[in-house]
Amino acid sequence: MRKPLTLASLAVASLAITPMLGVGTAFAADGDTMANLAPVALNGVEGSGTAMVQVNGTTIDVTMAASGLLPDNPHAAHIHFGADARHECPAAGDDADGDGTINTTDGDPAYGPIVVSLTKTGDTSPDSGLAVERFDTAPGGQLSYERGSIQVSEEVATAVANGEGVVVVHGVDHNDSGKYDGKKKSDLEPSLPTEATDPALCGVLSAAPAGGADTGNGGAASGTDAGLLALGGGALLLVAGAGAGIVTTRRARVSA
Amino acid sequence: MDAHPEHGGRRGVFIAAAATAVLATFGIALVVLGLNPSDGPGPATAVDAAGSSSPSAVPFAGADKASKEPIRAKGPGFGSLLPGSPPVGLAIPSIDVRSTNIVGLGLQDDGSIEVPRDASAPGWFTPGPSPGQLGPSVIAGHVDSSTGPAVFYRLGELRPGDRVDVTRADGSVATFSIDRVRTYEKDDFPTRAVYGATTRAELRLITCSGDYDDDTGYDSNTVAFAHLV
Repeated sequence: MRKPLTLASLAVASLAITPMLGVGTAFAADGDTMANLAPVALNGVEGSGTAMVQVNGTTIDVTMAASGLLPDNPHAAHIHFGADARHECPAAGDDADGDGTINTTDGDPAYGPIVVSLTKTGDTSPDSGLAVERFDTAPGGQLSYERGSIQVSEEVATAVANGEGVVVVHGVDHNDSGKYDGKKKSDLEPSLPTEATDPALCGVLSAAPAGGADTGNGGAASGTDAGLLALGGGALLLVAGAGAGIVTTRRARVSA
Repeated sequence: MDAHPEHGGRRGVFIAAAATAVLATFGIALVVLGLNPSDGPGPATAVDAAGSSSPSAVPFAGADKASKEPIRAKGPGFGSLLPGSPPVGLAIPSIDVRSTNIVGLGLQDDGSIEVPRDASAPGWFTPGPSPGQLGPSVIAGHVDSSTGPAVFYRLGELRPGDRVDVTRADGSVATFSIDRVRTYEKDDFPTRAVYGATTRAELRLITCSGDYDDDTGYDSNTVAFAHLV
């Protein structure tokens, strides 16, 4: 319960600062984002999933489901972001040490460090990045996750809303042994096999559509009285000259 | 269900169009005289959806690496879910929609969803969930082309319980049941309700509706909400 107190005091502090910085600084971002989780290059996971992150100021709500993961083993899951990262999922070319798989270090240039730990309970800061007892264990290979009111920094909220956050689900069974094992250790936590922390599924959180859709061109908006339509259309043609700029712009966008 | 929004968002267009307003009024008045009000888009009778174009190259075929076995899984609290696999066919028997030409859609510069070039082709929002995955999978289609009714002309006729079958690249068929159909003025579009997170596999079918204006297009969208059954 220390965290809420800390956040409350932060909120008070920002209220005090806001008048000096001007209106709007208290609101980092708002928006809905979604990620299609796909297998990370080279790591051989045949899985998929979706993650949705709703940003409200500096609070985020996360909903996620994935399948095809190693069953009954903890799968650390995070939102990653780095100002210098590419805001992408790693490609085969990111295998810096050439060992044929993508480990956490290999992924860093693509998606940056952990900014939110998607734990089921307790702390969600990067400190909990490997709190294996608080992550989903994917019973039957199915991961499902829902957690609201996760507090993040303004930088992270803005990054996520701008499509720069990346959701990564970790935990790969390279040798099909049914558990995390193997000689190679995690470059993140030497007490764990690299299988436990290698990225399995990844997806960039991109903005959901905003507003309505331009799904009509007017061809069925009129009835069948051809005579009157022709007459009216003739008058509209006069308009068309003057309004051509607007109409053309609109059409171009519709057919984009 | 329809709100009465402030029409403040398109002021620039309105100002630009002001010079044409007098002539436009005359023209539109004559056009309107030629209209049968019941012939507008939306619930209409005896109009065939123009959705059965022949199969063509599907832009995202082959993006389907992760779903060899479309086994239904029970995610705790999320109901049945399917693995990711792009839609390749859409059938809505109650309104005679049948298409095997589904195109991919992204976002336009203004953040709104792209729409298909081909008025007979439904478009799937590719950055979002596949039909059957957790979240709102979005398929948009035109209500009309510049010459007549298009693939989603009859979308407004859908009723709760109507069936929507989406064939996916992995060969599985995701069957959805319509929950509700709503019409929203575009100036008051509930972005979050339509595109925001859900806790089951859902589907959104979107088209245009309302009054058509040459400058601004239709003023409303009709959205059919459905869930995977």
